[in-house]
Amino acid sequence: MEKNSDLKFKVISCCSVIGFIAVWYLCTDILQLTTDITLPGPVKVLHTFIDKFTNKSPDGGTLLQHMWSSLRVALSGYAMGIIIGVPLGILMAWYRPVDLLARPVFDFVKAIPGLAWAPLLIILLGIGFMSKAVTIFVAALTPCVLNAYAGVKQTREVHMWVARTFGATRRQMLFKVAIPTALPHIMTGIRVALGSAWMSIVAAELIASSSGLGYMIQQCRGIYRPDVIIVGMLMIGFIGSVLTWIIGIIERAVVKGQTHDA
Amino acid sequence: MMRKILKNEWTVKIGSAVIALAAFCMLWQAVTVFTGMGDFLPGPAETFAEFFRRFVKPYGKAVLPMHMWSSLRRILIGYTVASAVAIVLGIVMGTYRIADAIVMPLFNIIRPIPPVAWIPLAILWFGIGDASKYFLVFLATFLSVLQNAYAGARSADPVLVGAARMLGANDGFIFRTITLPCAVPYIFSGLQNGLTAAWGQVVASEMIRSSAGVGWIIIRGMDNNDILQELVGILTIGIIGFILAASMRGVEAKLCRWTTRGK
Repeated sequence: MEKNSDLKFKVISCCSVIGFIAVWYLCTDILQLTTDITLPGPVKVLHTFIDKFTNKSPDGGTLLQHMWSSLRVALSGYAMGIIIGVPLGILMAWYRPVDLLARPVFDFVKAIPGLAWAPLLIILLGIGFMSKAVTIFVAALTPCVLNAYAGVKQTREVHMWVARTFGATRRQMLFKVAIPTALPHIMTGIRVALGSAWMSIVAAELIASSSGLGYMIQQCRGIYRPDVIIVGMLMIGFIGSVLTWIIGIIERAVVKGQTHDA
Repeated sequence: MMRKILKNEWTVKIGSAVIALAAFCMLWQAVTVFTGMGDFLPGPAETFAEFFRRFVKPYGKAVLPMHMWSSLRRILIGYTVASAVAIVLGIVMGTYRIADAIVMPLFNIIRPIPPVAWIPLAILWFGIGDASKYFLVFLATFLSVLQNAYAGARSADPVLVGAARMLGANDGFIFRTITLPCAVPYIFSGLQNGLTAAWGQVVASEMIRSSAGVGWIIIRGMDNNDILQELVGILTIGIIGFILAASMRGVEAKLCRWTTRGK
């Protein structure tokens, strides 16, 4: 019975997706409610998608070239964000003076979307790899710091007392008790940071760049090619999902035997 | 006794915040005065003075408060409408499996696409005016609130729901007394995330195409190579973002005093 109803709902889900595409097809290709410069039909989008793997026009790069360009910038900024953000968050939670002094500054900085730094960085570093990588770094830093901080802060005092009773030094308490406790939170931060890094690279490329998926969709807006825009958006979404999936695997490998809330 | 300690705790926190911000500004000032960076990087004194001067001296066509208002209007309208729609839809999806089965797969296709990636398409569809900004803010808010409202409605304990139903409660009663109280803390964390996302989205969409607003200020500063304008813009964005997040936390603390999440 339970299995039967599961199947029923799966079928409904499939029908929903198929229905959506059918309505899209009906409105665009058959009824011609929209034109090619507002919303192209699914067939056209699929055709563009296949074509874009080899075709460099209209924006000077194939899909894979743009993809690689975006990934390279996003992942380098993201890696820097993790390398600096996680230890900073741990330090802030562990040493009270650091907490009291760094937190107010940080609280203000985190209210600024990472993207808002992009124009300033472009003036200082020029339009290129560095200014974008630093923007991504700033965007990825905040979630890493916040989650590492929250993770270390929630260490149970009882565990600390036990460690101290058994003669652990402060250093041992940090590395053997606090950081392992914080690990699920740290991984959550790393996962959240990935989302904001990926979002920021797309946005930074929309504003100023000469390659990348964001650049591609922005160029195609100027020349009224929504088919390429939709291909680009779906590709951005797809890569985002793949990256999240990879982080999920790492997360499950690192955080063993703990259930964490998303 | 307890109150006294708490008070002292607050004094320490606020005192150190003031010291930290002052130290940060002094460091910044020192860098601009004593090193070569001062040639192109304005100091904090200059930035704050410029910030207040811009209340009367316009950027482009409007003074700073008018730019703030342009951005705030965009976020408030889009955010309010999107929150209302997303909360209702999320709860319906969390309660009725058929709605879940229909909407969820479509939502899963859209969800991984960052809201900023919709900007070019939104401009093609709605033009460069306010309509496209409302749409973009709506989208950013909707995605994050819907996920949370859905998770919240799903978090209702099925045993409780079953027990209530067995004792003769109807759907409306179950909704009011079980589902909704379970969902509210989740909804609030969704509203909080949604507000952050919406603010980022407003700034991003103004940076890409607009004629007023705080995002416009920083992008125009970039075009003119005007670092002072950049810093004033970033400061403004930070202040508004800070106030928005703080007021949302205030509302949550007031309304959800009974939950542990609402702290």
